[in-house]
Amino acid sequence: MANKITTNSRNVYLVGNPNSGKTSLFNAITGERHRVGNWPGVTVQKIEGITDTANGRLIINDLPGTYSLTPATPEEEIVLKTLDEAATGIIINVVDIANFERNLFLTTQLVELGVNPVVSLNCFDSFTRAGGSIDLQKFSSFTGTTPFPTVARRGEGVSSMIEHLSRSEYLAPECCNNMLALPDLWKKAAEDALACQGLKWASATPVQRYNALRELISLKPLESDIKVQEIRRQLATQLSQGREKPVKVIDLACELASDRYRRIEKLIAACATIPGKSIPPWQEKLDAVLTHRFLGLPIFALMMAWVFWTTFSLGEIPMGWMESLVELAGNFVRANVQEGLLQELLADGIISGVGGVLVFIPNILILFFWIAILEDSGYMSRAAFIMDRMMNSIGLHGRAFIPMIMGLGCNVPAVLATRIIDNRFQRLLTMLLIPLVTCAARLPVLVLLCGTFFPENPSMWMFSLFFVNLLVLIFLGHMTSFLFKTVENSPFLLEMPPYRLPTAASVWHMLYEKAMHFVEKAGTVILAGAIVIWVLSVFPREVPLSFNYEAELAALKSQAVTAETTEQIAALTHKRDIEQMEGRYMARIGKLMHPVMAPLGFSWRETVSLIPGFLAKESVVSTLTVLYLPYDEDLGKGMSKTGMNKLSAFVFMLFTLLYIPCIATLGVVWRESGSTKFTALSLLVYFVIAYLVSFAALKIGEALQASNGTAAEAVTIVLVGIFAGWYLLRTLLNTFIGRQCNSCAGCSGCPSKSSDCQG
Amino acid sequence: MLDISNFISKAAKMVRTTYSLADLPEGSTGTIRDIDALSPTAQRLLDMGFVPGTPIKAIKRAPMGDPTTYEIRGYQVGLRRTESALIDVEIKPDGK
Repeated sequence: MANKITTNSRNVYLVGNPNSGKTSLFNAITGERHRVGNWPGVTVQKIEGITDTANGRLIINDLPGTYSLTPATPEEEIVLKTLDEAATGIIINVVDIANFERNLFLTTQLVELGVNPVVSLNCFDSFTRAGGSIDLQKFSSFTGTTPFPTVARRGEGVSSMIEHLSRSEYLAPECCNNMLALPDLWKKAAEDALACQGLKWASATPVQRYNALRELISLKPLESDIKVQEIRRQLATQLSQGREKPVKVIDLACELASDRYRRIEKLIAACATIPGKSIPPWQEKLDAVLTHRFLGLPIFALMMAWVFWTTFSLGEIPMGWMESLVELAGNFVRANVQEGLLQELLADGIISGVGGVLVFIPNILILFFWIAILEDSGYMSRAAFIMDRMMNSIGLHGRAFIPMIMGLGCNVPAVLATRIIDNRFQRLLTMLLIPLVTCAARLPVLVLLCGTFFPENPSMWMFSLFFVNLLVLIFLGHMTSFLFKTVENSPFLLEMPPYRLPTAASVWHMLYEKAMHFVEKAGTVILAGAIVIWVLSVFPREVPLSFNYEAELAALKSQAVTAETTEQIAALTHKRDIEQMEGRYMARIGKLMHPVMAPLGFSWRETVSLIPGFLAKESVVSTLTVLYLPYDEDLGKGMSKTGMNKLSAFVFMLFTLLYIPCIATLGVVWRESGSTKFTALSLLVYFVIAYLVSFAALKIGEALQASNGTAAEAVTIVLVGIFAGWYLLRTLLNTFIGRQCNSCAGCSGCPSKSSDCQG
Repeated sequence: MLDISNFISKAAKMVRTTYSLADLPEGSTGTIRDIDALSPTAQRLLDMGFVPGTPIKAIKRAPMGDPTTYEIRGYQVGLRRTESALIDVEIKPDGK
């Protein structure tokens, strides 16, 4: 991509390790002036900010955090892909000086490729407080970089760095003997590898240089390229000189990494004093309690209970305000706008749609307030550490626990909370599973349905529904992580950042970004969906009626009011409403879809009621009530009169529970995943699973009813029950006591002690 | 003969002092000796400083037995058995 540097605008790129304070630095430089987009070709969020200086404008690009230029995830690949473009602008390499060696690895890679970044030596305060010191002059001349000590969380040192960046003449410092540069042996080999492609080191771009180096250490070099193979062999021989153990070609990657760390160690020894103990004792003590074998889980559970309670119980208070505000607005429109389509559109379509978006805001703000604090304080990594084993048993990352548990309250903030998972694959997997967590809004629907269909013992049936739901959740988790195991090979590395006091600024940034992002991105989708459903339910306006109800009603109304006429009026109005409803697009679509649903034992009425259920699951019940009115006032009785029995009611409930997440959840999934394909695919998955599970339940139930004690069928049912129970139990056991050994095919190849391996 | 007995005692010593990182007992320090170069995740571990010769300490196992936090190059990182099993460590002969 061509770079457009004019005299008064300059592109700046932030690169650095995760947890290095890159985002804090970005916020400190740009304030709230962000633009969120996507990187071309990939669905990874691109964040761009601007800051104006006396000498012109700086456009700050926040690149995804990475430990190394060698990518392990699609996010990290962006850094490499942008490197050539970035090299024409200014690269700021954010380095957490409290964790100097590992952070300098990325710096070393950049310097090797001929990039001279501005280095922000971040967290400088804790470094000096612990007794560390660094000679900036030496650091600059030994590395060819421009260092700036910063404390990004408090904005210290940022202004002088900006001042430096905006200078009209930006020159990297001269450096004749760079301590981080590639050693001659390696450089010669890389030059030779470049020459195979007809390129020269001096004129090659940083990415071309990177690729040449990568080719040297690659596990799977291009087999056709015999020349490179030869260069690799030579390099290995040369490196072996003077060593006890010869260097093998496959060890080259290890050699290069070791060499880089040797250079880093030398550099640090030459220009800095590193505090002997980087982790203060109070932190160790706190860690010992928070991740304690017995105390760790209860403490975490208490914290989660607190977060959950404040988010969803305290959150109800502002939600109530929002709802009454929406109601007020609706009433205002009804009172002041002429009755008709416009009034309906405003009151029932738009205002209730906007209300449907706004009600989520209190939940989101409260939840993200806690998430910001947990994340900033460093506890989030400990929570992931504690919960990882359990989440890993269904293929998820430890960080997925908080989003999943929040899903019990409401799926919408839960999906947003997946942002705490860095790894994109893991994030998508969590997003896929969250809608299968029964949220609080689904409970009243279940209570209502179970109470209607099974008045004798509703709780038992509810429990069995939950049980099936949980099985589906675990099964889907297992399946996806099994199917995509080969796609996903980024290692599990859970960095434990030091504990810190969260700052008001970073919490504020998180809340502001979340709320704005939700309203702007997901809000519009939810609103649009609500309006579409509304349109389907009120159009076409004129439905051809079988009978002139209006005339008859008018005639009845003109008569004297008696008990008989009121009853007749009510009956006629019902009949008219139903006929109108049947004529609307929604019912037409429902009837069209009915053949698909018929194998599950649903009548067209159930099928129709599933469509508004997309907007909110409680609408399923209200739609059904209207549709069954001609048969009976009581929904349960009405259904049984038209051939629905307990089994089909159970199957229907099961289907309702699983078939689709509500539109708000779908909206945030679409926006957060950034992928229409993923959203569509997950919709299909839910639908297929709901269909198959319901079908299986129907068949098993039918067999159970028809069997009259037939041994074979009874055995089948018992077996299915036992299998389901065993599956659940096995997952739980694996979580808590089992020592699942993922890394090896069998005991012979297992690196752990044989007693541990259950192969 | 002398050579062989020397070799055997050396081998015996090696068996005792070499562990997979996954089996390094909590609280003990070892030195990274080797890393499984054929694993696709090895590169990232190398980049993060898990190179031969680096001291590493097993800090704590999670309440459910996995993952384990390690201290290396002045920072702490949690690894699952899947990752830590790729790394061989040597416990210093003179103890901790």
